[in-house]
Amino acid sequence: MNYPDKLIIGLANLWRMKLRSGLTILGVVIGIGALTSMIAFTSGIQKNITDTFEENDVFTSMYVTPVKADPSSIDLAETMKEGISSLDDDILDSIRTIEKVAIAHPEITFPARLKLKNKDDKTRIQALPKAMEQYKPYSDLLAGRFFSSDTAKELVINWRTLRSLGIIVKHKDIPRDFTENDSLEEYRILPPDSILGQTIELVSAKLDIGNVMKNPLKAATGTENVFTEESMPFTIVGILNVERNISAAGIKGGAIIPSETAKAIPRLDFTSVWDLLGNSGGGGQYSSIYVRVDDMQDLETVKKSLEDRGLNVFALADQLDQIRNAFLIMDAILGAIGAVALLIAALGIVNTMVMSILERTREIGIMKSIGASDHDIRTIFFAEAGSIGLVGGLFGILLGWAFAFAAQIVINQHILPNDELPVDLFYFPWWLVLGALAFGLLVSLTAGLYPAIRASRIDPVKALRHD
Amino acid sequence: MIVIENLSRIYRKGSNEVAALQDLNFRVQQGSFVSVIGRSGSGKSTLLNLIGGLDRSDEGSLFFKEKDVMQMSRRELALHRRFSVGMIFQSFNLIHSRTARENIELALAFGGKSRRERKKQAMQLLEAVGLEDRADHQPTELSGGESQRVAIARAMANKPSVLLADEPTGNLDSATSGEIIELLQNLNKQEGVTILMVTHEEDTAHAVSDHLLRLSDGKMLEERRISQ
Repeated sequence: MNYPDKLIIGLANLWRMKLRSGLTILGVVIGIGALTSMIAFTSGIQKNITDTFEENDVFTSMYVTPVKADPSSIDLAETMKEGISSLDDDILDSIRTIEKVAIAHPEITFPARLKLKNKDDKTRIQALPKAMEQYKPYSDLLAGRFFSSDTAKELVINWRTLRSLGIIVKHKDIPRDFTENDSLEEYRILPPDSILGQTIELVSAKLDIGNVMKNPLKAATGTENVFTEESMPFTIVGILNVERNISAAGIKGGAIIPSETAKAIPRLDFTSVWDLLGNSGGGGQYSSIYVRVDDMQDLETVKKSLEDRGLNVFALADQLDQIRNAFLIMDAILGAIGAVALLIAALGIVNTMVMSILERTREIGIMKSIGASDHDIRTIFFAEAGSIGLVGGLFGILLGWAFAFAAQIVINQHILPNDELPVDLFYFPWWLVLGALAFGLLVSLTAGLYPAIRASRIDPVKALRHD
Repeated sequence: MIVIENLSRIYRKGSNEVAALQDLNFRVQQGSFVSVIGRSGSGKSTLLNLIGGLDRSDEGSLFFKEKDVMQMSRRELALHRRFSVGMIFQSFNLIHSRTARENIELALAFGGKSRRERKKQAMQLLEAVGLEDRADHQPTELSGGESQRVAIARAMANKPSVLLADEPTGNLDSATSGEIIELLQNLNKQEGVTILMVTHEEDTAHAVSDHLLRLSDGKMLEERRISQ
């Protein structure tokens, strides 16, 4: 008797006991469903983080800061002396000479207001060199282009900033859900092309030193305005692409302007103690420098050579291993919970199969009397157990997927804020689908092992006398 | 064809021992019709089970075409049951979840026949026992005589040279019994199938067989050749 015949006999036997087989399969469905949805959840979160890392070139990026002074150290001056205490253009130039460094630029962000027509929005502005246009996420804009030069009065804007300015970009990936507060505002839904080319005012504030010196007391008590505002027109040339993940670490502001243009903008840009000490921005002192390599393999070498120069280097990629380990633990815990459900299902299979043997003892005797070998009987029972696992596995994956689908809708529609981009919290990679099927099959075959061996060893003479 | 030498089968339960067969010796010629008679518990069915490869002896040898069945592995025993012998029983032993045709097809499947061959041969066998119109009936829908005919068709599916019949008419009325015996006689005479039949009915045994074995308490009480 060939294997397909045995499989058909096995399936026919399951079909004969529809209710019992169905309930046993349901146990496997729940087990596999629980297991797959839990692993899909951790896989989804992990994928979101890894994709965010990749989309923002985190694996090739690092941030250089001056060596941190240890505030707990008694001799602060001594600590400061040991390393570089501030970043300036000389250090920037020396970083640029390091082999494998593709680009290095100071990290410049400052608060500003953007005015478009009659609406304005407070946001942070990030200044970047034009050379960054070749890298993600700037290389993949939703619409338009990057600035034409480092001195152009051009601006690349985030869709969220546009939303705050009363414009919703007409694009399939951009949510258009409205909250109660939103409904009070006036929104215009515009295609990206009609936004590009519009003039936007960048209003920055600067400390009016003259006014402070004239009336120091008033300035200190806040009765005298010590800030003056300056406005500069920019042309919107590009719209940043929709972030596909939980966060977009690479984009640090509501809009991006060219680095040289930014130098001419008077602003309050203290982002660290070094800025407060004075010569920030125009003075060529920076709180941090962004360094990028072309190949992630070079990250470690460049990082080491920066550290050798007494600089503090922070690369998010270093954290990835720790994140992965944390996910492995999470996988193991959630997987174990799912596996318990599957273990109970396996006991159900054993129970069903043993019951089946008791009921079919005479039938086994008859089959042996007409020539069935031990192997034939064993394989028929294996086929039954395997079919339970396979069918249960298939429907279990569907159940897990359906659960994930429903949970996804609930989370995106009821838990996340309305203007948040929908997130994919569950991820079903091919290895999970195949692995769940294989695991379901393995568990059911293991559960069927004892009943199959027991059935094959039945004494045909006794079996034929069995009622 | 079958040579039995010093065959013994003892059933043990705890310290109790029951000798179902003791020191049995006889030979069966190919093409003969052997009747095994005796009272209940005399060891008739045990003898058939041993020849059919369903059971093993404690002592002695059972040669089937010069091969000792008692020395066969479990796999060889399965092949012996599949191809060398066919068995029919008093209670027919058809699988109730399968139709008459499917019961026969199952035996053919164990014999390695393809699906198409199985269907064709099963119908031929049913035709041979006069039940082609009952092919798709469940055993519960068949009469006793019809069930036994299906059982005979199934036993002959893989063309065995020996048919072992354990009280084949025990559950049948006399008319139907006569039909079954006639069918067995036809198989014996026309197909040359060796028949070993266990029966209570001495008259029938004398009427149809050419070799009679009478057992009592597991021992051979009488062995007689009858010229028909």
